[in-house]
Amino acid sequence: MRQRIVSALAIGSIALALSGCGLGPSGVEQGAAAPTGVSAGMTLYFYDSSGTLTAQQRDTGRLGSVQDAIALLLTGPGSSGLTTALTPTTVTRTEVRLSGDQMSIVVPLTATEATDVGTDQIVCTALASHIQSGGSPDTTVTVHFTVGSDTTRTCPVLP
Amino acid sequence: MMPSWMLRALRASSGLRGRLIGTFVAVMVLGAAAAAWAGVQQSTASLISSHTDSAAADLISRVTQVSPSVRYPPRQDSLDQLRNAVGVNALVGFDGNTSSSGFFASGWESVPSDLRAAITAQERSDDARVSTQRVEADGTSWLVIGTPVMITSPEGERAPSGIEVYAAYDLTDVGQQVDALVRGAAVTTALVLPLAVLLAILASRSVLRPIARLRATAQSLAAGDLTARSESAGVDELAQLTRTVNEMAESLQSSMESLAQMEEGSRRFAADVSHELRTPLSTLTAAVEVLHDVLARADHADLSDDDARESAELAFHETQRLVALVEDIMEVARFDAGTTQVRRETVDIAEVARECVSVRGWSDDVRITRGPARSANGRSVTVRADRARLDVILANLIGNALTHGRAPVHVEMSTRDGGVSVAVIDSGPGIPPDDLAHVFTRFYKADTTRTRAHGSGLGLAIARENALAHGGTLTAENRDGGGAVFTLWLPLGEPDASETPEEDHR
Repeated sequence: MRQRIVSALAIGSIALALSGCGLGPSGVEQGAAAPTGVSAGMTLYFYDSSGTLTAQQRDTGRLGSVQDAIALLLTGPGSSGLTTALTPTTVTRTEVRLSGDQMSIVVPLTATEATDVGTDQIVCTALASHIQSGGSPDTTVTVHFTVGSDTTRTCPVLP
Repeated sequence: MMPSWMLRALRASSGLRGRLIGTFVAVMVLGAAAAAWAGVQQSTASLISSHTDSAAADLISRVTQVSPSVRYPPRQDSLDQLRNAVGVNALVGFDGNTSSSGFFASGWESVPSDLRAAITAQERSDDARVSTQRVEADGTSWLVIGTPVMITSPEGERAPSGIEVYAAYDLTDVGQQVDALVRGAAVTTALVLPLAVLLAILASRSVLRPIARLRATAQSLAAGDLTARSESAGVDELAQLTRTVNEMAESLQSSMESLAQMEEGSRRFAADVSHELRTPLSTLTAAVEVLHDVLARADHADLSDDDARESAELAFHETQRLVALVEDIMEVARFDAGTTQVRRETVDIAEVARECVSVRGWSDDVRITRGPARSANGRSVTVRADRARLDVILANLIGNALTHGRAPVHVEMSTRDGGVSVAVIDSGPGIPPDDLAHVFTRFYKADTTRTRAHGSGLGLAIARENALAHGGTLTAENRDGGGAVFTLWLPLGEPDASETPEEDHR
């Protein structure tokens, strides 16, 4: 009799083991950080009348890519009262590569055409776009010019 | 009907072996099942966890990838674009508008309410995160992942965009993997079973073998072999028990030996006393006989003193009685010593009974009859027995019946149970029930006040010993109509080819 109880117990535990685990419904669990990347426009950086690097919101309806932002930056501030340090150019195609926390941008300008403060504009615009699309704020940017030595820096007005 | 092996198994299961094996197997299988269960649980948990993490990472990556190209605030086509990027089972909602497909075909209703509440809460928190939940739908397990889409400022501050994205992943594949895990665990547990049985049998054998040896020893002891011992090896409880049993047998043997010696001594003493008494008694008997005769013949007045004659008469009878008593005691002593000899020959019991009665002058009081069941061939009732001893038995029974019961005494002979039965029935009041059990006890007197009764008090005991020496029985009982019945039963005995007397040591 006791035999039977013991074996029933054993079979019961096995059955429990077979049914007790698996893919039943669960409660809500938290995972990784939520995605980001939507935006009503792009953030470009120009200089105001006092020579301060200032962010300008362009209502493009979407965030767009880093290339889009730089291309828009290269087309100039328009009639907003802000000025750019970058030499105007008709070629706005750039190449952006991201490797870890390193972003490298090939711009269609010489180092002289870009100027030092103009390079800050490029770096800040690229980083703003990168951060807004969910990138790391610790990214450093290397700018490659058509002529002149590359420069690696971060944006002075972004944390 | 149950097959014999099942009955055997049933019997075995109720014994110590069965319980040992059962417990052992149960423990092992339980252990294996518990280990397998824990393993499966852990594996399943990590399988689900890794699957969930990779699905969430996939969703985040898809949303992150497409978000910069999605118009904001989104229109219906933007929502569709986002939904397409996420996958087939997806729902994208913004401000009352939704774009849904597959699992979420019925819109918000298909989103688990717990999950939606959690997403709403996440949107408001500083650190918005992806939320996951497993649900059951149409018998299939689904992993539903929901997340708010955030707007990040260039400074890195995040704010809710109002867009919520949900994606569902079919867990059938994972379920199959879990099933495979469970199957593997079940097979492992099942494989443990024969191993457990094997180990249990080996273990039970090591326990039960000493027990079987002990049992054999105890049986030998019970059968009278006091030299039986068990080997004891080791220091466990069974070895201790074995040693204890051996010690017990040892002390039993020594006490039995001393008891046997004492008994032997007392028997020898009784035999010696009787023997020593016989010689002076013989002399005394002769002297008293002479005295008796002289007194009987004497006619002279000075000697014909009645008192003296009476004394001589008394001395004569008491001496006769003393002689008979000593003879009886010696007979009993011979029985006790086992030196009695039974000389078997073919005798007719009826003839022996007639002779016994006529020689002792009891013919008037005794009727010898044949019972209704005669021998098949109608011959006289014959057995293989010692004629002299048969005479002693019958004389004792009939004498006892005449003395303690009342005449007439009936001696009935019949054949029964492959032997001959002789019933001696008296016409007295019967034996008191209290004494019935003791009538064959030596020196037992039914009436304690009549200490000077006739006989030695050994007659029935000797009759019984004689009956036993022939392989027969002698029993006493009371008849319904009054009167004691002593029934002697003797086996017919194998007729010997040679008629030489055979010796039978009791």
